[in-house]
Amino acid sequence: MPLPLIFSTGIEEGLSKEASFSGGSEIDHFNDYALYVRGISKTFSNGVVANNDVTFGIIKGEVHALLGENGAGKTTLMKMLSGCLKPDRGEIYVNGVKTRISDPRKAVQLGIGMVHQHFTLIPTFTVAENIALVSSSSRKLELKAVEEKVRYVSKSLNFDIDPNTRIEELPVGARQKVEILRLLCQDVSILILDEPTSVLTPLEVEDFFRIIRQLKNDGKSVIIITHKVKEALSISDRITIMRGGKTILTIPSSQTTASELASYVVEGFIPSLKRVPTARGEPTLSVKGLFIKGDRGEMAVKGLDLSVHSGEIVGLAGVTGNGQKELVEALTGLRKVEAGSISLKTCDLANKPPNFVINSGISYIPEDRMRRGVILGMTISENLALKRIDKEPYSKNMLIDKEALDKSAKELISIFGIKASDPCATAGSLSGGNIQKLIVARELTNGPNIVIAEQPTAGLDVKASEAVHQKLLDLKTKGAAILLISADLDEIMKLSDRVLIVFGGKIVGEFSSDALDMEKLSKLMLGSE
Amino acid sequence: MQLKISKSTYRSILKSLISVALALVVTSVLFILTGANPVLAYYYMFVGAFGNFSLTVETLVRMTPILLVSLGLAVSFKCKVWNIGAEGQLYMGAMVGTIAAVSLGNTPVTLLISIALCILAGMAWAGIPALMKTHLGINEVITTFLMNYVAIYFVQWLIAFPFRSPDTLFPESAQLPAAAILPILVPSTRLHLGVLIAIFLAIPLVYLLMMRSTFGYKLKAVGENPEAAKYGGINIKRTMLMALVISGALAGLAGFFEVSGIQFRMRGSLSPGYGYTGIVVALLGQNNPIGVAISSIFIAAIYNGAFEVSRVLNQPQGIVDFIQGVLIIFVLSSESIMRFLEKKGVIKL
Repeated sequence: MPLPLIFSTGIEEGLSKEASFSGGSEIDHFNDYALYVRGISKTFSNGVVANNDVTFGIIKGEVHALLGENGAGKTTLMKMLSGCLKPDRGEIYVNGVKTRISDPRKAVQLGIGMVHQHFTLIPTFTVAENIALVSSSSRKLELKAVEEKVRYVSKSLNFDIDPNTRIEELPVGARQKVEILRLLCQDVSILILDEPTSVLTPLEVEDFFRIIRQLKNDGKSVIIITHKVKEALSISDRITIMRGGKTILTIPSSQTTASELASYVVEGFIPSLKRVPTARGEPTLSVKGLFIKGDRGEMAVKGLDLSVHSGEIVGLAGVTGNGQKELVEALTGLRKVEAGSISLKTCDLANKPPNFVINSGISYIPEDRMRRGVILGMTISENLALKRIDKEPYSKNMLIDKEALDKSAKELISIFGIKASDPCATAGSLSGGNIQKLIVARELTNGPNIVIAEQPTAGLDVKASEAVHQKLLDLKTKGAAILLISADLDEIMKLSDRVLIVFGGKIVGEFSSDALDMEKLSKLMLGSE
Repeated sequence: MQLKISKSTYRSILKSLISVALALVVTSVLFILTGANPVLAYYYMFVGAFGNFSLTVETLVRMTPILLVSLGLAVSFKCKVWNIGAEGQLYMGAMVGTIAAVSLGNTPVTLLISIALCILAGMAWAGIPALMKTHLGINEVITTFLMNYVAIYFVQWLIAFPFRSPDTLFPESAQLPAAAILPILVPSTRLHLGVLIAIFLAIPLVYLLMMRSTFGYKLKAVGENPEAAKYGGINIKRTMLMALVISGALAGLAGFFEVSGIQFRMRGSLSPGYGYTGIVVALLGQNNPIGVAISSIFIAAIYNGAFEVSRVLNQPQGIVDFIQGVLIIFVLSSESIMRFLEKKGVIKL
């Protein structure tokens, strides 16, 4: 399967399409829209202007994609429509009637419901219990009635979901269906879905698109928040592009192309990746017969083998929860290994403390960056020195050299383009994207032997992602062995020399990057082959 | 080194000042209820603490154990290890130091050895809950607190039976030999060498340890985000263990200084709760050695000033505990109070 071009490299100017809200009798206008907002602005308490004078409308029975980079203000806008946030200014019209949406319950009464990017289901409750939690209006728990309704709605959409299953037993794709079911059981007519495909495998995405089409046929309006241009093009009737907290343009999907959309989504030039052909070297990291326990004492990794050579990027693809987290933690000394070996060249790494792993030249960009990657209450320069505080020039005779700390921080801030006022400001004062840049700056300098990159670009905008990708490719050229763990298949395919598929705590398949079989890959990821 | 007060430092100072002000206001209400003029009460409190040279010296003497204990607690609290056991560590330090001094008698090294052993005793007594925390996962708040009672009753038994002085009626140890007594620096006052050690040695050392050393960095990292500290290669267990043991060392030293500088015998009533007062002081000083030093003088002044208030205005002595209790409440809620004031626009930074 060929890879479609996602982003154009230049800006196409002179396009005459304007936002379709201008002109016309306004009152008539509102009546065409199931939902129409005008002049919406939102500034957060930390001074970030998330939405600035936004105008946006959705027609009854359409699928509308809200397209933009991370941080463009898409989620903020939708959270205001679903009652999770309150706008500072602006008007909201539902079916032509001006209204205020004070909380999520009010939004649902108006027929607006949202599926958040991070699901809000209670794992230990059953499907029916989760739905009863929000849909029952009386104090009495009418579980039987809810079960009936879940069965009915579920059947109408060809969902195969038993209302008595507990959420924790369901895979991610099914949980998403439950989230949608929950909205439909509350008779929602406008569904807002935040990055719905980010948790799905390619096969599941197709099934998901089928559901969206069916919802549309049933007369529902669907808003899909996405940062993927091709996805917006393939599912939606109309597309609205947001950039820097503003709506730039609304356009029917049939009248535009991927490259045109991309030029609106991203302002400025995106450098294309420079790949230097690199000879694969000796195996640097090798893992044999690894067994690791998960948090609940179950065996999460069951006899996993893999090797990463110097000068190569190995992508680890798989649905979240198949042992990736445990594997990465074991590789970095954060989790105990039950059996098997981890070796860096000839040195044994299994069950060594994190400090030993760090000193062996293993860098780790963690997925959970706020909890693991950074200490928000400490300064930027202190955070940049986290793994090297005991070494010169950062400290001598156990005393910290603050000037050396700040000097090195200033260098890294400028090299990696971290937007920071002062190296002595706390890391907590940085935005999410800049925190990731800080972590990347710390992990990718000082010539690591091995880089373990776990979702390294999640939440980053296109330019920052490209910078991280380029840095990983540069390190590879210099002979580093890189293990890339990502839920984003596009990212894995773009960077990896080899792709390994992990399922059920084992490697179940391997592809060379120039011979990828997407269908087979999807099936392997789901464990159906 | 230039002195630069950053915005966040300024905010921290303001937070503590607001807590103190609110505590004093609430205490004023108590004064009014008991029929005293609060302005007058605070005046006598100040006079009682700093009214003349000898009263000021007495306040410094009072400050010494509080300062030593709270400096240690600041180290421990910085990495979010809640040592509530300084009182017990203080008693164990004092007891072991006393036993060492009495057993050694008058030798040139008696004082040095006693000091070394009192520090070790405090470390050991703090080390038990520290190991229980790091190796068995037992909450240190409960163990350190309960071990206070073990220590105090154990010490009372020691001075009632095996180490009871043969020449007194009360349960107390024998008098320390002259060589174990901290020299008095100004004749006819109680300004002993321990006061100077606390101010000119303990404060700079703890400052260096917390603010300039890699250990201080690790303390902060573990306190702020243990998950990230572990990821960064910091040995969390060792850092926590060290923090608790260091606070025990300073508490033990505080205890022996009270014996060898003030009481000259180990008594069951050695400390009026300095181990707990230290908690208030460390919190009020926001675990910053300089802040802790200033807070120690403040609390010591309240201790000594309260005697004057009760003497002149016939107020209860318990006023000291009352102010400390109110202070804890306000210090713990000072962040919320501060945010409230900032939201209302009363404070702009």
